Amino acid sequence: MRLLEHESKEILGRYNILIPEGDVVESGEELKIDGPVMLKAQIPLGGRGKSGGVIEVSSSGEAKEKIEQLLSTPIRGYGAKKILVEEKIDIAREFFMAVTYDTVAKDPLVIFSQEGGVDIEELSASQPEKVQKELFTVRARLPQYRAREIVSEAGISGRILLGLGAILSSLADIFLDYDATLVEINPLALTGDGKLIALDCHIEMDDDALYRHKDQAKKLALDNRYEGGRKSTDFERKAAEIDSLDHRGVAGRMIEFDGFMGLIIGGGGASLTAFDAVKQHGGKPANYCEIGGNPSVLKVKELTKHILTKKGVEKIAIIMNVVSNTRVDLVARGIVKGVLEAGRAPSETVAVFRVPGAWEDEGFKILSKYGVPYCDRSVSIDEAAKMAVERAKP
Amino acid sequence: MSEFIKVAIDQSKCLGIEACGGCLRVCPVNIFDKKNDEPVIIKENEDECTLCDLCMQACGPNAVIIHKLYENQ
Repeated sequence: MRLLEHESKEILGRYNILIPEGDVVESGEELKIDGPVMLKAQIPLGGRGKSGGVIEVSSSGEAKEKIEQLLSTPIRGYGAKKILVEEKIDIAREFFMAVTYDTVAKDPLVIFSQEGGVDIEELSASQPEKVQKELFTVRARLPQYRAREIVSEAGISGRILLGLGAILSSLADIFLDYDATLVEINPLALTGDGKLIALDCHIEMDDDALYRHKDQAKKLALDNRYEGGRKSTDFERKAAEIDSLDHRGVAGRMIEFDGFMGLIIGGGGASLTAFDAVKQHGGKPANYCEIGGNPSVLKVKELTKHILTKKGVEKIAIIMNVVSNTRVDLVARGIVKGVLEAGRAPSETVAVFRVPGAWEDEGFKILSKYGVPYCDRSVSIDEAAKMAVERAKP
Repeated sequence: MSEFIKVAIDQSKCLGIEACGGCLRVCPVNIFDKKNDEPVIIKENEDECTLCDLCMQACGPNAVIIHKLYENQ
């Protein structure tokens, strides 16, 4: 979940990182700051400056007019409901700093550059000596002395080293404390009078960790943040509620479609393969829905029942790749129980069950008892999808 | 309520929670609860049983019985 700039800066403020003086307004009438200001549309996108989402104005009269303009003009499909009005900062120099995960090293990665306001990927490719990257551990975090060393290795010296090190260390704390996947300040400005101020900030929180940040999650769920983007349907929201019934596995990441075949699919790329295969064989999916990570019987059962409540859904197909960390028998129990509790016959409702892997013998015993058509790994995902589509034909 | 798994405790063998309580302690899916000093089965959780057998191993007098209802017995 991407936080808006003002939401991100609120967090920076809690960690004593300086941000420009400013206000969030929902109309020009709410403007309180006078003089030259920056107006920034609050939408969940990068590159707003290039798209007209950031405007510099010199007087409050002009600001009021431009605020209304920003509120009424969509930017790349998004409409701002709030404008961040900030004092204009006297910039002497700009830096870049970020913390993200290195998914290969499986550790947090801190990135610092002596040049800010730039596309860091481009700079990293063209002038790698200007970008300093360093892994750190969740347990040790990034102490200030280590942060100062990283900044120093990037060619920064003098009094500013202390300030930059402190901010970099705090950024790592924010990253860990908020279960973020990215925390970025770009640019971090050094002002004419020697202060370090975060001019823009981008924080992405891990959706799966939002339950640990209830206040933040509540704010992010509000409808008054911005317009645009695809909003979850009621059907999808209900599926997400099912997924949060317990911590075990995933069973409820749903995208609703307008077809008639319910899909319970899994395995990262395999779920996309299965979905595409169903479509390629002429099937019309009612939904895309991933399961994995050994979900509880309860979650699979509730998910199955939920999919069967969708109008027109007579059949469901359960297709996964060969699973090692998901139990076939537990998935089978959940599916059969869900179908039974929906008042339908498993043999008639399940078009195909193709989940080979751990505990498949037990799973197949359950499916056999209820007459559910199933197949093992000798049948490919594509073939299983074809079977499901054929069985779903009236 | 359970469709696939039936868990039972032979109360004539069970030593009680105070003296043993092994089943309650080891079950990873919360199938056991206690009532007074006796372990009782939480019926709505029975189908979550992973057949790990930890409860049977933890039970000294072999008082825990697990039936797979989908097998002919």
